[in-house]
Amino acid sequence: MSQRLLDRAHAVFGPRIVSSHAFHGDETIVVEGTDIHDVLSTLRADAEAKLDFLVDLTAVDHYGREPRFEVVYHLRSMATGERLRVKAEVPDTDDGTEPSIATICDLWKCADWMEREVFDMFGIKFTGHPDLRRILLYEEFIGYPLRKDYPKEKRQPLVRRDPNT
Amino acid sequence: MSDTTPLKPETSGPAAPPAAAPTTDVTLKIDGKSVTVPKGTNVLEAAKVAGIEISYFCYHPGLSSPAVCRQCLVGVKGQPKLVPSCYTPVAPDMEVTTDSDQVLTARQQMLEFTLVNHPVDCPICDKSGECSLQKQFDDWDGGASRTDVPKREKPKHVDLGPTIVLDAERCILCTRCIRVCDEIAHSHQLTMSIRGDRQQISTAPGQTLDNPYSLNTVDVCPVGALTAKDFRFTMRAWELEKVDSVCPGCATGCNTEVHFSKGRIYRLIPRENLAVNKYWMCDEGRFTYHAVRKDRHAIATLRGEPAAVDKALAAASDRLAAVLQSAGPGVVGVVLNAQATNEDNYALAKLATALGIERFYLAGRAPRPERQDDILMHADVNPNTTGARAIVEALAPGKAKGGAQLGSDILSGSIKAIIALDDTLELDDDTRAAYGRLDLLVTLTSYTTGLTEHSHVALPIPLWAEVDGTFTNVKGLVQRVRKALEPAGDSRPAWEMLRELGKRLNAALPFPTVKMLFKDMTATVPAFTGAQFGRDSLPVLLRFAGSRG
Amino acid sequence: MSDSHSSSAPSVPGGNEPRKMVIGLSTAEDYDARRQAAVLGNEDDDDEMPTEPMELNMGPSHPSTHGTVRIVLTVEGETVTDADVQIGYLHRAFEKESEHATYTQVFPYTDRLNYVSPMLNNVGYALAVEKLLGIVDDVPERAQYIRVIVGELARIADHLTATAAGSMELGAMTIYFYAIKAREWIWEILEEISGARMTHSYVRVGGVAYDLHPDIPSKIRTLMPKIQMALHDVKELLFENRIFRDRMDGIGVFSQEQALSYGWTGVSLRSTGVPYDVRKDHPYLVYDRFDFSVPVGTTGDNFDRFILRIEEITQSMRILNQAFDQMPEGPVVVDDPRIILPPKQAVYNTIESMIAHFKIIVDGVKVPPGEIYSYTEAGNGELGFYIVSDGTGRPYRLRCRPPCFMITSALREMIVGHGIADIVPTFDMMNMIGGECDR
Repeated sequence: MSQRLLDRAHAVFGPRIVSSHAFHGDETIVVEGTDIHDVLSTLRADAEAKLDFLVDLTAVDHYGREPRFEVVYHLRSMATGERLRVKAEVPDTDDGTEPSIATICDLWKCADWMEREVFDMFGIKFTGHPDLRRILLYEEFIGYPLRKDYPKEKRQPLVRRDPNT
Repeated sequence: MSDTTPLKPETSGPAAPPAAAPTTDVTLKIDGKSVTVPKGTNVLEAAKVAGIEISYFCYHPGLSSPAVCRQCLVGVKGQPKLVPSCYTPVAPDMEVTTDSDQVLTARQQMLEFTLVNHPVDCPICDKSGECSLQKQFDDWDGGASRTDVPKREKPKHVDLGPTIVLDAERCILCTRCIRVCDEIAHSHQLTMSIRGDRQQISTAPGQTLDNPYSLNTVDVCPVGALTAKDFRFTMRAWELEKVDSVCPGCATGCNTEVHFSKGRIYRLIPRENLAVNKYWMCDEGRFTYHAVRKDRHAIATLRGEPAAVDKALAAASDRLAAVLQSAGPGVVGVVLNAQATNEDNYALAKLATALGIERFYLAGRAPRPERQDDILMHADVNPNTTGARAIVEALAPGKAKGGAQLGSDILSGSIKAIIALDDTLELDDDTRAAYGRLDLLVTLTSYTTGLTEHSHVALPIPLWAEVDGTFTNVKGLVQRVRKALEPAGDSRPAWEMLRELGKRLNAALPFPTVKMLFKDMTATVPAFTGAQFGRDSLPVLLRFAGSRG
Repeated sequence: MSDSHSSSAPSVPGGNEPRKMVIGLSTAEDYDARRQAAVLGNEDDDDEMPTEPMELNMGPSHPSTHGTVRIVLTVEGETVTDADVQIGYLHRAFEKESEHATYTQVFPYTDRLNYVSPMLNNVGYALAVEKLLGIVDDVPERAQYIRVIVGELARIADHLTATAAGSMELGAMTIYFYAIKAREWIWEILEEISGARMTHSYVRVGGVAYDLHPDIPSKIRTLMPKIQMALHDVKELLFENRIFRDRMDGIGVFSQEQALSYGWTGVSLRSTGVPYDVRKDHPYLVYDRFDFSVPVGTTGDNFDRFILRIEEITQSMRILNQAFDQMPEGPVVVDDPRIILPPKQAVYNTIESMIAHFKIIVDGVKVPPGEIYSYTEAGNGELGFYIVSDGTGRPYRLRCRPPCFMITSALREMIVGHGIADIVPTFDMMNMIGGECDR
């Protein structure tokens, strides 16, 4: 990855970057979840950064920590080969509904399926996504398995019976 | 991290925080880092404050320091030889090194020396996976053995007393167990015998290891020398999961870790909380987990016949509605219980207030004065007497009556229906027979014993190890119990059952989650003001939680 | 750096006109013109039947999709007007299971990601953990060369499988036997190295499980001409086959912009002309010491992807030859008792090794807290592992970036507007591997 991009990101976004670090050569910036679409589209269009390739999109559940979720974007510049990791903080909601963050489907088409996978596994809603539904699991599945509070041993039947019959 | 929340002092006056003795602070340097600690702290603790780890076997923060294991040697500027950090108090402008070649070599060689006669029996040792010796070796040495002489053999199975077995070969002679008996239990039951490489731990002449705090020796044992008869060979330690909880054995409320696996608890061990139990707990408290598997009432019953929970709830609400309509709320009583959590008691009290019921009884197990000592054990064997009383005082001031009063009220016929939490009412035969005269007895209970068989409706509720909730100990500290196991059978938390009952009686309790109930409770009950429910946490597999050693 | 496979154009025996072998002969416009004539028919044609949309399930088990995937097609006649590509039939909770296993215990799970080239997954995962441990450069050279060797063997096997299955599903059964036989030779070698035919679990954090037998290099060297022969047969049989070329040339054309937007990597991306290969652009292991080239396509059609795989097999063999020449003697694991198990003899006889063995097996290799993303070139493209460590012996979060997940996500766009029969070659040349895509 690249220290140059980290400096560039600091120059462009200034205080909008919540924190940043570099570990074993992986430069990372952390931003607010509400900021993510703007940050990514800026980084994509920026003439110096030119981070025009979305390598990966995933999430991490930091159970018991605030904010609970992080959506992680890995970007690469096809021109220079430099990489940057952007993390967006997504707090959990109090009322049991799914937390949400803006979609980036309009920037990269591969975000479509990757966001569906994050929704499927973590229950993070991507607002503006054209077709947000489960991708690896079946529609009847209850819960979000990659959340830390979903027990690994939990089993659920594929076909659900009506408890009243 | 402790979940204990200090409360405002009540009129009865819980122990005030120990008045800090006037201390002066000392600043010293450890590995170049500057640390300021109170005078009298030893170098080892000062290093912990600075985030520097020093290895040790014989030192324990709750015990005196004999400096016998020599594992914590550090260099001090101006002193030609290394000094044991557990035994050396800090001094102003001291310069300590913990990572010089001299220190690391000393540390490695002490480990090598300790391991010379240690048997190669990790695979059959009960302490494997939570052994200090394993951890220290892994952290500080990791090298190959240079020993080529046969190992010294010692007795593998020495029965020290009713609870503990000694394997003398594994012992590294740190003397922690001797000090626990002397300094915590105040009974000199263990001692050293023989000399040199034959030296071993044994009971003092004419003694057996039978003090009420004996199992603390197993906790402090850094290796697998002392093992508890209750736990040994039942489960590999690294396969266990843990959650933080509180002992339900008495009003002291010692902080514990519940160690469990696949729906079964294997042991309780004390968790550090300097405000309550320091590092210790009594043997009796450790065995409270056995009751979780015994005589459980795991299915709803209607007059002793099994029924679905929904059906039982419907029957209870129908009959209660009938009584309320025909005789009014004056003949209905609710029994809160010092065995149940704050949340369950609060839900019942809240439901009673909503229904206009004014008879509150406070039940619980009878005190056992003979167990009271000035160490940890309390005569009151209920974990939540303070909490239950505070809740009644807040919702129905001055109306709480004792369990004995309940008996006479039933006999005099002044009450016709009872909703009771738990089944620990201890009543004489006459009173017990009098329950037959009641129009309605609804119990929310975990056990098949006691009142359950006399109840019209008996609803199964989980025990302390199966719910998230809080107990209030004798000092007024609100402490969190966490769910380790799934509730037995059909049981559902009592507050949930009461919420359902309330819904059917048009007395809604607006608590979708136990967290929100707790929030409401702390706002309503003045004694709980400022209490926190604690952070969310998940069970941790011990092998990934770092060694306990 | 591109090494286009522009061989001279042989004439087709008995054909009316010589067909050039250069990729890029058939353009999308050619294709559209052909389709206009063949599928839609002439507009003046009075015999055209009116059609109405029909929903058609392709899969989850379909003989011409080598991978369990369900495509819900909306067709009008033979034309696909909409498609819903549904994956997940092979979801095995790889990431969830990994969060509950020690770092070493994850290796068998990685075998089952891209199960036609497990060694590449092994290597990719091991490099990720080593990056987190900070010991990437400490791994002995011999181990790095062994990793390159087994990795390139796996890549050859992967490409052989893709070409074999791809051609079989277009009816060329013989090709399948030729290529699969060659793959089987490789798997026999890998079995000799690791003890298992497919699920090798051969690579370890800090090195490899055991050294190569001294015979292995000569065995592989004698094997390579045989594989070349098999490839020769495949080329001879297919490249001038009218049926095969008609279904591959100009079908499944994807532009560079589309490919980049869809996150394509590997052969699929290179077929559109982007010379991105992790081995060249971000060299890992000892790949910077080898002389090899990265072939790229010109049109981004199915035939490009087919021929690129065959060309990459040749390049892999070049790497193998150089690796055997350069490989030094020496240890195959790092010298760190906190990462590598002690020898069994010592475990049973000394308490020190007993403890070391016990701690590594039960507590796992202690990995410092932090997060890294490590990526390698796998059979289908950039295989990435994003690991978040909390300092214990197991990953707090392990994310696998499966290259064919992104590639498969473009399938809808590639098949809509084309004929049903075009789905088969297009899907085949994506080389979607269920184990990797669904994890």
